[in-house]
Amino acid sequence: MPRLLLPLTLALMGLILFGDGACIHAKAWLAQMLLERAFDRSVATGEVIKPWSWVDTWPVARIEVKRIGASAIVLEGTSGQALAFGPGHIPQTVDAGERGVAVYAAHRDTHFRFLQSVSVGDVIEITRRDGKHFRYRADYSAVVRDDASGIDPAAQGVELVLATCWPFDAVTPGPERYVLHATSIETRE
Amino acid sequence: MDTYDTADNEEHPMLKALIKLGLFLLAQGVAVMLMAFVALLVSFGTSWSATIEQASLLQPGDAKSGSLLLKEDGATTEAIRLGTDIDVTVSGPTLRARVTQIFRNPTKDWVEATYVYPLATGGAVDTLKMVVGGRAIVGDIKERQQARVIYEEARRAGQKAALTEQERPNIFTNSVANIGPGETVLVQIEYQEPVHQSGNEYSLRLPLVVAPRYNPAPIVQSVDFRKDGSGWGAATSDPVPDRDRISPPVLDPARNAPVNPTSITVRLKAGFALGEVRSHHHNVKIESPDNMARVVTLADGAVPADRDFELTWKPAAEKAPSVGLFREHIGDADYLLAFVTPPSAEQTAQKPLPREVVFVIDNSGSMGGTSIVQAKASLAYALSRLQPTDRFNVIRFDDTMDLLFPTSVPADAAHVGEATSFVSALQARGGTEMVPAMRAALADKLGDTGMVRQVVFLTDGAIGNEQQLFEAIAAMRGRSRVFMVGIGSAPNTYLMTRAAELGRGAFTHIGSVEQVEERMRGLFAKLENPAVTGLTAKFSEAKADVTPAIIPDVYRDEPLVLAARLDKLAGSLEIKGRVGDRPWSVTLPLQNAAEGNGLSKLWAKRKIGDAEVARAMRELAPEEADKAILALALDHQIVTRLTSLVAVDKAPSRPEGAPLKLSELPINLPAGWDFEKVFGERPQIPAQSRERHADAGSSPAARRPAPAAPDAIRLPKTATSAELKMIAGLILLVLASTLFVFNRRRLLLTDAA
Repeated sequence: MPRLLLPLTLALMGLILFGDGACIHAKAWLAQMLLERAFDRSVATGEVIKPWSWVDTWPVARIEVKRIGASAIVLEGTSGQALAFGPGHIPQTVDAGERGVAVYAAHRDTHFRFLQSVSVGDVIEITRRDGKHFRYRADYSAVVRDDASGIDPAAQGVELVLATCWPFDAVTPGPERYVLHATSIETRE
Repeated sequence: MDTYDTADNEEHPMLKALIKLGLFLLAQGVAVMLMAFVALLVSFGTSWSATIEQASLLQPGDAKSGSLLLKEDGATTEAIRLGTDIDVTVSGPTLRARVTQIFRNPTKDWVEATYVYPLATGGAVDTLKMVVGGRAIVGDIKERQQARVIYEEARRAGQKAALTEQERPNIFTNSVANIGPGETVLVQIEYQEPVHQSGNEYSLRLPLVVAPRYNPAPIVQSVDFRKDGSGWGAATSDPVPDRDRISPPVLDPARNAPVNPTSITVRLKAGFALGEVRSHHHNVKIESPDNMARVVTLADGAVPADRDFELTWKPAAEKAPSVGLFREHIGDADYLLAFVTPPSAEQTAQKPLPREVVFVIDNSGSMGGTSIVQAKASLAYALSRLQPTDRFNVIRFDDTMDLLFPTSVPADAAHVGEATSFVSALQARGGTEMVPAMRAALADKLGDTGMVRQVVFLTDGAIGNEQQLFEAIAAMRGRSRVFMVGIGSAPNTYLMTRAAELGRGAFTHIGSVEQVEERMRGLFAKLENPAVTGLTAKFSEAKADVTPAIIPDVYRDEPLVLAARLDKLAGSLEIKGRVGDRPWSVTLPLQNAAEGNGLSKLWAKRKIGDAEVARAMRELAPEEADKAILALALDHQIVTRLTSLVAVDKAPSRPEGAPLKLSELPINLPAGWDFEKVFGERPQIPAQSRERHADAGSSPAARRPAPAAPDAIRLPKTATSAELKMIAGLILLVLASTLFVFNRRRLLLTDAA
């Protein structure tokens, strides 16, 4: 019996751990499907629409990189809860399309995994909750520390920064961040 | 060995249960794992979802991505064309206007067109018709969001649809979806408005263009909200949340021919023998079918929509009638509209009270050109009218602000001279930060000195954050009274009327230098003469819902305008008040009221205005005010902030798959404006000019405050423990299964032994 107890406990712990990890991905994926719906309704009605009742964030924009076929719905705020469901818009920064820098951050292993395949010159498209559409061109990327992002929120241009953790394939959290800077190339207003 | 065996055998049933549990968990684990892998595949190998999106061309984002078709060099051939026809019928105290916008699509694409246009502030928009190929589709009033949804659905389904939305009480947007190549769609709206009366003169005003607005930049909040998990307060507070909706592209008149030709016809039936009829800013032809009617048309056919049309008329008799009473029966209620001009107090009987007057002059870029000339002339006239016993001050503002004197000073020759030279040196430039200037003007530094305190505010009102200004007036007005002087060819009448109403003052418009003296004289008559105060209205028999609920003071030559909803048309209306220090009253028997048109709409519109004011003054909770507004709007079919008109042609017209382009129709710069003063250097293309306009000039006030630290933005943690957990879990599972297999084998071996 004691001989069996050890492997069974290990198996149980393993399953729980694995399930927990898998859940993060499952949640990230499922949430985006629900968010997609809430966002479409937001665009249609111009209202703030929460994807489900108990969440304290709401979709604000859709990011698309057509070349690599990536897209994600951005949520307001960067609380742990928001980031579990989608990329988050850092609330101190302006909205996409406004003068200044809009910063969106997301997990490197879920919604912003695609950032590693975005290259300089790619077109990043943002559709805002109000239906406005903006196009940005990726200008350069940088690896910075989280407390020295080098992002000037009062920048005069219309800019966008996508931020995630660096390196992409690391499994432990660290202070390094990957930031992709993009500038507005055309606003259709 | 034996002991071992027995022990094993005894525990066998329990072991079986444990194995069962283990297998169950294993099955569970496999299921979770499968799900996780599917999730990984689907969400991050996104090529599938992207293909789906590209296939359906009617994603809202995609549909709107068409760029403005207008060419930069001024060739408008590729763009949607718009013509406007305005037909106004004045019947006594009210007017009904029919505005027909003709959208013609000369391009080869299907187009959605949006056009931002102004209407009279007091107008109740109640009808929308869309005419497609000889068929007229009548619009319905719906709650704003609902109307938007209906419109969007129709747009996606390829049906023709029209939507009328209110952005401000005097700014509306018409959207027309699915105008086919070479097609013409007519959109017709109608509104009802009371005729304006001042002294002996009646007037109507048709604003034709929305002047570019200065929208103060949002302040970036540097508060870190990460701890509380992105609370609602984390969103940036924008003083003009709908700035995009009120800033259509504006054409530089130096590079483009004027657009949006407009024809105007006014059928004037005044109800009395007419004297002088005059158009102030347009050449007109006036026909006289009889002595009580006129037909006014533009002399040169269509004109570009770049300035307000203003028509005034006077009775042939020396004095205009001082009382007008009109009624209308709708449903089970009677509606009443009453105009009463109180007698003016005898000026010689009493010496006017000494006054403290604060003049505020807007010298922002939008005032460039002729407006600043008018404003300066008006202010110079006002300064010359001051008495030595008065005190005064002058404030000028653009995105910066200067007070001429720290506090109000006596209006002696030296001070007035200083002020006159200060005013004549002013130049128009920069943004329009109006709220700080209004606050400075309302700051009552002298305290109650027994003087009447008046603020005379000269501006074109070209700002987008009207609400902030109203809040400032409501909060700070104290004993001051605010008099607005609207300057230029297309002033923001909504701002003027509402600010004067909240500031318990009056307003006037000055549209040309020639009008300065006449209009300022009228305004000073109001400033210098005591108002009719303490006004009350009482119905002897009928139960009445009167608007305005609290009757404001009435200035010299202004009529008191009352609208009421009555349960029965019986008895009389008694109005009481004080003219100067003498009591005054008048009794109007209701039976004598004449038949009027659309009075119920005017009553509802006034009630809605009252509710909006109560909301701004915080007398009503926003939800309560909104509820009242919505009920009135739906009841009386009026477009408001909360309701829109929407018309949908049931038959789909755009073939499936054909793309739809969005065209935001450009507008003219108001006449007399200076493009460079508003938008900066000419090489700017119109699309970008809005950005420049948003913080015109490189003013310190308009610029966003710099963050305290250069790197105020701290990036959040963006790594999950998912991978780590999954790897650790897998390792444990492998370990467990090896151990299990190993144990099992040992068990079998021992059994065999």
